[in-house]
Amino acid sequence: MYSATSHPRRPALTRSPIQRLRRWLGGSFSPYFFIAPFLLLFGAFGAYPLFYALYLSFTSWHGYDSPRPIGLSNYLFLLTDSTFWQSILNTAVLWLLIVPVQIFIATVLAVLLSLPQLRLRGFFRTALLSSYVVPAVAIIQVWLIFFDKDFGTINAFLSLLHIPAVGWLTTGVWAKVTTALLVLWRNGGFAVLVMLAALQDIPVEYYEAAAIDGAGAVKQFFSLTLPLLRRTIGFLMIISTLYVVQMFVEPKLLTGGGGPFNSTMTAGYFLYGYITNADFGTGAANTFLLIILLVTLSLLMLRFMRAGDEV
Amino acid sequence: MSTPANQPITTAPSSELSTGRSTLSRRSFLKSTAASTLLAAGGTSLLAACGGSAPATISNSTTQAGEITIWDRSGDLFNVFDATIASFNKKYPNIKVHHLAVDVDAKLPSTLSTGANVPDGTFYEDSNLPLLAEQYYDITDWIRPYTGDIVPFKLRVNTHNGRIVGIPWDLDPGLLFYREDMLQSAGIDPASIETYDDLIAAAHTLQAKLGPNVKPIHLEQSPFLSMMQVEMFANQQGTSMSDAQGNVQITSQPYMNIMNFLDRVNKEGLGSLQTYESPGDIAADESGQVAFLPWAIWAVYGPDLLFKKSKGKWRAMPLPAWQKGGTRAAVMGGSSFIIPKKAKNPHLAWLYYEHLVFSPEGYRAVYGPNKIYPGGINTSIPSYLPALQQPLSQPSAGLGGQDLWTLAANTAKDIPGNYIYPTWYNQAATYFGANIQKLLAGQMTPAQVLQQSSQDIQSKLINHA
Amino acid sequence: MALTSQASVHAAAHTTTRRLFVRPGMLFSYLLLALAVIVTFYPIFWMVMSSLKPGDEIATAPLGVDFHTLTLANYSSLLAAVPMWVGFQNTGIVLLVQGSFTLLFCPLAGFAFAKFRFRGRQGLFVLVLATLMLPPIAMIIPLLFEMAALNWVDTYQGLIAPGLINAFAIFWMRQQIAAVPDELLEAARIDGCTPLGIYWRIILPVIRPALAALAIFTFLGVYNDFVWPVIITSSDQMQTLQVMLSNLALQINNAQPGATGHDIWGEVLAASTIATLPILLLFIVLQRQFIRGILAGSVKG
Repeated sequence: MYSATSHPRRPALTRSPIQRLRRWLGGSFSPYFFIAPFLLLFGAFGAYPLFYALYLSFTSWHGYDSPRPIGLSNYLFLLTDSTFWQSILNTAVLWLLIVPVQIFIATVLAVLLSLPQLRLRGFFRTALLSSYVVPAVAIIQVWLIFFDKDFGTINAFLSLLHIPAVGWLTTGVWAKVTTALLVLWRNGGFAVLVMLAALQDIPVEYYEAAAIDGAGAVKQFFSLTLPLLRRTIGFLMIISTLYVVQMFVEPKLLTGGGGPFNSTMTAGYFLYGYITNADFGTGAANTFLLIILLVTLSLLMLRFMRAGDEV
Repeated sequence: MSTPANQPITTAPSSELSTGRSTLSRRSFLKSTAASTLLAAGGTSLLAACGGSAPATISNSTTQAGEITIWDRSGDLFNVFDATIASFNKKYPNIKVHHLAVDVDAKLPSTLSTGANVPDGTFYEDSNLPLLAEQYYDITDWIRPYTGDIVPFKLRVNTHNGRIVGIPWDLDPGLLFYREDMLQSAGIDPASIETYDDLIAAAHTLQAKLGPNVKPIHLEQSPFLSMMQVEMFANQQGTSMSDAQGNVQITSQPYMNIMNFLDRVNKEGLGSLQTYESPGDIAADESGQVAFLPWAIWAVYGPDLLFKKSKGKWRAMPLPAWQKGGTRAAVMGGSSFIIPKKAKNPHLAWLYYEHLVFSPEGYRAVYGPNKIYPGGINTSIPSYLPALQQPLSQPSAGLGGQDLWTLAANTAKDIPGNYIYPTWYNQAATYFGANIQKLLAGQMTPAQVLQQSSQDIQSKLINHA
Repeated sequence: MALTSQASVHAAAHTTTRRLFVRPGMLFSYLLLALAVIVTFYPIFWMVMSSLKPGDEIATAPLGVDFHTLTLANYSSLLAAVPMWVGFQNTGIVLLVQGSFTLLFCPLAGFAFAKFRFRGRQGLFVLVLATLMLPPIAMIIPLLFEMAALNWVDTYQGLIAPGLINAFAIFWMRQQIAAVPDELLEAARIDGCTPLGIYWRIILPVIRPALAALAIFTFLGVYNDFVWPVIITSSDQMQTLQVMLSNLALQINNAQPGATGHDIWGEVLAASTIATLPILLLFIVLQRQFIRGILAGSVKG
């Protein structure tokens, strides 16, 4: 393995302290140097705020005077608060509407974009990525008009097909769908790009072998492509999950906060409420609950990723 | 030091606060509120505990020098305020104003808490004021000369622990906007609508005469705004969500009246459920689906600047009353200016706001015709009584040339003063606002809305504070 | 060595793949892609067209296009009121600094995690991952305090520093680099290469397409970043594009006195168009390089 020591061995007794240290660390100082910039920055702008927030989570503080220690009160309050759990539930539903769908669509589109005979590949790729460049506020205005219940485009189109108008932004269920559609539209290009980069790594011999074995295009996709993309799929799942749990701009601007009956109150938006209402203690506790949630989910997904590790 | 209670009541009609029916004359109001304790405290300074404030100096205006940073919310209002800086600098040529357009709602809490780059003064909505009240500069002594001439409830809204910590700016009276042409064609005389029951009856008539597509009364779909509208209805009846101590008090008859009204409108098919000024709402207003909008004065924005087809066909009148002969005035929304405790130049910021709000050059520049609004601003009126005496803005084109200013100013005297913004006002929308929506969707009964919201507010917002 | 075998495989693939995909299948693929492109483009097209309409018309006739009333008024009133070029400048500065930092240091860190065994590797990697879990909006208050103490509020340092922590990049680079065959690295080591040399000569060329993609991701991430810049900046001179846009958008949602109604829609859409189109054009121009980059390193045709 590459990580073996890079110098011929000296007898143990004559090694200097530095050499012993290096050996103890695994054979090289290099990795530490390589990671150092990140660590320094993290220490300064990541760890410090994190610990400060941890401290705040055990206090009640509204921005003036000093934080007042109240032990686990904030945590207990949140864990027994039905609105908190509703925000978690909403986030879970949104997750289901967004993450699997996004990964599936991204994979399909990336495969299509990788087809050798595809013309206008560059055009398609740029086109699909372009949605990510549009500022959120702009696309939300578009959504507000398209999905308006009484005067929106989509319902106008549906009425042509004699389908009754849907309350896209006015009913609990559909508001989530509409929000999910927004997120899918906007972040889709990004997912396609990641998938595309991953697909490049699959050797074409695999496909040849599969073809020789008689597998058609669809079978190849499900039995060959998908399993090999496991790692990237896991990666996308983690990134998307992080986005969905923390998202608050879309609920704020698209559904005016919590949405109909708080149906689009995501975990992120719920947290945002505490920050803008200067309830910093509860907000900090909320943060850590979310962090615990995210860490748990990520660990699960990492396991999923590693299961397909063949490198 | 003479207290305003001893000052003669001005004779101009718009500042005459005593009415035959309501007991809220200026004198009685002052006796019954914290304002009186504040003013009766006289000149002694209780300010040491509050962070201090300098006594008002009548200095030569050119000796006032320095720089101030003023925050305002982005928008045309920012531009209007910006244009007044020139008139301010005529008085105080050596005070430089850095005027910034900022998302105040998002940034002020964190800015005041961290003390980083704190502005010297900022615009802030009244509903937000209680949140950060501990961090505002005490301007009681500076504003003292004017307190007698400010609409009392605005003063109360800017009062914290008996000290005045904000400069009241605008008054947003509630009015009933209606489509005169639709009422005419249905043979309804607007003057006959005196109560909300009358309103419902008129709505039925409209529907009968103009067809079932007409759902005359606007129902608000945004949780926050619907709660605000409900608060307007409550204010009319002399109450609000919170009492002076911050306790929730919505399980009361006035609130039942409101919930029952909304429920009736909804169940009897008389309501158009829309989000205020959304594309759907505008289309509903323009297409003759909606004929009545009980809302703050700032709804005139639609007829004046948004609507095309129905422009000029709308009118405004005082709100219907909840009981025959009852109060037909209320407030909905409003904003003020605050000076943070950590401001570098609080007194200079005060001079700026003094000019803007209390000096004729200032308030004429803001409300009167200007470059940005050639007709002046009529989406609100000043809360400073001398400014209310004459209309500063032009008659409203969207309302067919109606003198909205005088109408609104006249209702101002009837606005019940018992209006409290608790610290949990904004957050209450998650519970109360959401439940109002459930009522409008037929998922909750009026009583349930009030019970459940009251419980939630108590346990989640008040107990946990 | 590696390249020639790739080329031959590529050539071979080209002849055999024709038998893998049937013609009708290609039609279906084109249809799907076309659908995806339409869904992606239509809102953008709407945005651009609406930015050329007077504000009221956007509200009252959102889908129609009345060629007689097309106007650049939104653009002129926007540019008179909002210094958009300042927004571009600031976003550009942040992009430059955060982008270079990420491209310089994150692959390096990813290399360390992927190819070295060292004490504390697990723990440190978990730390990297954990950084991803920190919801930005929750870190705001403590971070703002820190910036205040450093006097970095409303400055470039304050704006840029927290964003230099790009755990995502490290995560992704690690993944990409892990796929590089160890034999290559071993061979270089035997030849006497230092770790840094190996990084420079072997790793970087192999992951070039991934680097290109990383550059794009970082670019887009910085470009879209909104939460922290809104909080840390207040003066006009410091605002990034997104901050300006969100300030504009606020006016749409402010229904109280001061709201400017649908003229502001026009301005927001104009601002969004100004913010979107150059980037899009940049992509279109650069995607040629991008294709080359990806194909050069690719094994699959």
